[in-house]
Amino acid sequence: MFATISRRGVLTGTAALLASTALPRLALAQGGGRLIVAADSEPRQLNPAIVASNGVFFISSKVIEPLAEASYDAGGLKPLLATGWEGSEDGLSITFALREGVSWHDGTPFTSADVAFSAMEVWKPLQNIGRSLFANLETVETPDPLTAIFRFSKPTPLQLIANALPVVSSVLPKHVYEGSDIAENPANRALIGTGPFKWGDYRPGEYYLLTRNDSYWGEGLPHLDDIVFRVLPDRAAAASSLEAGEVHLAAFSSVPLADLDRIAKVPGLSVVTRGYEALTYQLTVEINHRTGILSDLKVRQAIAHAIDKDFVLDTIFLGYAEKATGPVPANDPTFYTPDVTTYPFDIAAAKDLLDEAGYREGPGGTRFSLRLLPAPYFAETRQFGDYLRQALAAIGIDAQIVPHDAAGHIKAVYTDHAFDLAIAPTVFRADPAISTTILVRSGQPDGVPFSNQGGYANPDLDALIDEALVTLDPGKRVALYKDFQRMVTADLPLINVADWSFTSVVADSVTGVATNPRWVVSNWAETGLSE
Amino acid sequence: MTRPFLRRPEALLGGAILLALILIAGLAPLIAPGDPLAIAGRPLIPPFTDAGLPLGTDRLGRDLLAELIHGARTSVAVGLSAALVAVFAGMTVGTAAGFAGGAIEAALMRIVDAFQIVPGFLLALAFVSVMGPSLWVVVLAIALGAWTGPARLARARVLSLRESDFVAAAKVMGMSPAEIAFRQIMPLALPPVLAVASVIVAAAVLTEAALSFLGLGDPNSVTWGAMIAEGRNQLRSAAYLSIIPGIALVLTVISTYLVGEALTDSLTGRDKR
Amino acid sequence: MARLGRVVLVRLAGSLPVLLIVLVGVFVLLDSAGGDAVDAYLLSMGGGDAQMAAELRARYGLDGSVLNRLLFTLGQYARGDLGWSIALNRPIGPVIAERLPNTLWLMGSATALSFLLGSALGVLAGRRPGSVLDRVLSGGSLFLYSIPSFWLGLVLAVVFAVQLRWLPVSGIETIASGKAGLARAADIARHLVLPVAALGMIYLALFLRIMRSGMAEAWGQDFTLAARARGLPDWRITLNHAARNALLPLVTMLGLQSAAMLGGSVVIESVFAIPGFGRLAQEAVAGRDAPLLLAVILTSALMVVIANLLVDLAYGWLDPRVGSGAGHD
Repeated sequence: MFATISRRGVLTGTAALLASTALPRLALAQGGGRLIVAADSEPRQLNPAIVASNGVFFISSKVIEPLAEASYDAGGLKPLLATGWEGSEDGLSITFALREGVSWHDGTPFTSADVAFSAMEVWKPLQNIGRSLFANLETVETPDPLTAIFRFSKPTPLQLIANALPVVSSVLPKHVYEGSDIAENPANRALIGTGPFKWGDYRPGEYYLLTRNDSYWGEGLPHLDDIVFRVLPDRAAAASSLEAGEVHLAAFSSVPLADLDRIAKVPGLSVVTRGYEALTYQLTVEINHRTGILSDLKVRQAIAHAIDKDFVLDTIFLGYAEKATGPVPANDPTFYTPDVTTYPFDIAAAKDLLDEAGYREGPGGTRFSLRLLPAPYFAETRQFGDYLRQALAAIGIDAQIVPHDAAGHIKAVYTDHAFDLAIAPTVFRADPAISTTILVRSGQPDGVPFSNQGGYANPDLDALIDEALVTLDPGKRVALYKDFQRMVTADLPLINVADWSFTSVVADSVTGVATNPRWVVSNWAETGLSE
Repeated sequence: MTRPFLRRPEALLGGAILLALILIAGLAPLIAPGDPLAIAGRPLIPPFTDAGLPLGTDRLGRDLLAELIHGARTSVAVGLSAALVAVFAGMTVGTAAGFAGGAIEAALMRIVDAFQIVPGFLLALAFVSVMGPSLWVVVLAIALGAWTGPARLARARVLSLRESDFVAAAKVMGMSPAEIAFRQIMPLALPPVLAVASVIVAAAVLTEAALSFLGLGDPNSVTWGAMIAEGRNQLRSAAYLSIIPGIALVLTVISTYLVGEALTDSLTGRDKR
Repeated sequence: MARLGRVVLVRLAGSLPVLLIVLVGVFVLLDSAGGDAVDAYLLSMGGGDAQMAAELRARYGLDGSVLNRLLFTLGQYARGDLGWSIALNRPIGPVIAERLPNTLWLMGSATALSFLLGSALGVLAGRRPGSVLDRVLSGGSLFLYSIPSFWLGLVLAVVFAVQLRWLPVSGIETIASGKAGLARAADIARHLVLPVAALGMIYLALFLRIMRSGMAEAWGQDFTLAARARGLPDWRITLNHAARNALLPLVTMLGLQSAAMLGGSVVIESVFAIPGFGRLAQEAVAGRDAPLLLAVILTSALMVVIANLLVDLAYGWLDPRVGSGAGHD
């Protein structure tokens, strides 16, 4: 009954009260309409230019846009605030042509000054990903209001920057943020952007409301009147709300995988797996190489052989995942290579390797004990923890799960290094240089989450990573990253188990779903509701 | 002590269930040998369809019956340990406070007050999150919210005994105050405290389940609460996953209450019927 | 009335040292945790570098010693300021003011339900102890008492919200509905039915059992026998004598249960996605937000103190033999 009370709704309070005694159903306003989405968390900081994470993008990408969005078309990018980009021969500059006729939600025109300000004052000094990606960015020149030239101190591959654009390039309004403490600006809690939806309202613990931007630059867009993100932290509640027709869309696998089969059969609901290709996660076993036993390659190989990836795919992911062969997921169209060392499930081989390494079975069949820390923030990493404990027991390794909550896990693994094996949901963000090589590159200071905190150091691998970072030719870059995958799978600084993405459960009335490989975290201008 | 039991069929039934439960808990490694968390078969086999796995399997293919049996062990262990810790801590503090009197008593009782006004579950939640959810932490967390009752009861009893003749006699005999307090008085303060102990056991089993439900259980051991929490994601497609441990939990709690009630009546010499 | 006011003030002042103990205890507990608010924040961001972490720690004063931070917090409280929540990035006072009513509604309604229904059924059960009705009611309530509240909540939600669609699945009110006044009140009431039922049913047994035994006792006593001999109808005897007899222990139980009820609402709020105190506590713990958790626990403790104070006052009013404020120990 909530959907009847849209912006165009004419129901009075009394009528709504009467309606509320009837069955709740999704009566939809013609055109427009209110899309209700389940959100499982409330990010403390919603500014996507500062915090480039999927949890933030999920909500903020509808309000604040990047220069370009990911696309299923060849080239992989769709222009948004930038209409074109070009790199110089020497790799020291990239020129962006910006879209004409775009204005901020407060009416001020969007210009190259906003891009320069965002890059120099926000992305480079404040953003979690931009701090390293734009480390060599020296200045941004603005010869005219629709041109921004990024100048780098070292050769920077255009391919890398282009791949990163959807994630790192959310543009903020200079006139709102200039001269303020950007991280604490009030606009971080009531976003101002150029996107198809304007900030409406936020009731902590209840919902976020975004309303239609009537002067959006896209012709005839957006379709929806407004979007409500309903805060539903309990996963079972998300499923029930969908079934009861109280929510149209639950993204990021907020409906438990185990419930998907059943919910797919509910009339009016569909399970959608597309729309996440550019945010593929990998189920990864992080290894602490400071632990003497684990610094032995044979032991790492034995662990890799002990994992039955088919079982993991079928039982934990219920088929909604692929086997990982290495640190780049198979669905990446550019960098992936299957030509790497693989470790088929083979308990006998695993036991032989451990014997060879000198770790013979002791009394009770146990060779040695390890601490296992599964990341607690995904059901799948926890369940894989339960499985890995059993898989290791089968080859004589006694793994004790050390439970932590989310904050405790981050501290234990990435600052205190109090683990032997950890299970992480690492993210591949369209280019290995963005958040993948950091997982194995040596020299990471303590306390950096989602980086190599296992003490692994391989000078050859480091050299390769550094070379790829300044290689401009796309073909050569790709070749280097293929070598990277081969070296990682051969030496196993970590073990990649599965490439896994999320699922959405969507009401059939929702149109324009999964239209790009980052759909859930894109601007939803083309999403609508039909009768 | 046996009379109230025999006169009450409910208490008898409760006692029988509890006894069976304790037997199962004690003999778990014999009845269901091996690691109950080991993968035993295909995932999600429904109950009563496979003779080898009579109650079926869970999401990962673990034997539900083995999990249930070992879960009884954890539930009984957590319930009893939490009650034991709570009773012991409460009796010690209560006896010390009651016997010492004066400033020490005032200070100790303010601490008791402090624990009493903080909702126990909130405290347990914070404690387990901070300390990490191992079984002992869970036991301590539950005891943190439960020891104030025994402390108050023990103190009240000690206050009434402090001036009695046998305490005076003990003083004359040259016993130290601590000896008098803990050797002579504390045992006499036991009956009323034991009467509430059964309530603490039952509440502890329920609290453990609630903590596991919120994801704060020990992943290295099977508990019924964790089984229910795991199963609730499949509440609609495989309801047995959470119903079976749910029934076990309810039976345990009910039988503990029934036995506790009969025990209370006989210990406090009160029998309504 | 002036005497009453003084009693209230004295009791509240007397609980100050206790609240201080709670405060220091919780502060030290949270400080010994692995991971701090910045770790939790970095997790939600999906990573960040070491310098960033250091800058954030400096910004939120997390790099100081425990003692300094404790003294700072105490100083804030002394000025009537609840401080700044790191996890929510907002001042704590308004957050508490937003969440408290939801939990109070939930707890208040559940307490009323269990108290009223429990004592009414207790009257029925205690009327003829040992009868079939008594056994069914006593057994049934004990059964409810033994069910984990979250389990009851989940089942109620599936049956009444998903299958029958009579009531909403979750939340405290229809989101962004623009309702006001009575319409909004009715909307909130509809949302509260299931959570209140799940929480209230559990505690029903407590009140039922007290009322039942109070009744059973009263029926055997001289004054009821005398009343019966005078030809008074049973229902009047029930109300005037027997129920009155059970009222004092009932009220005592009400005070004792207030803390447990508050704890129980944590789980229920999680099941029904109600933005109340319990969920705030969970968020505070997960975000390692010491100031927020402190504020939540202190407010809860204060609520329990007030509940007990009310019970004591009621006690003095119901039973003139007990002076107000002396209903303890």
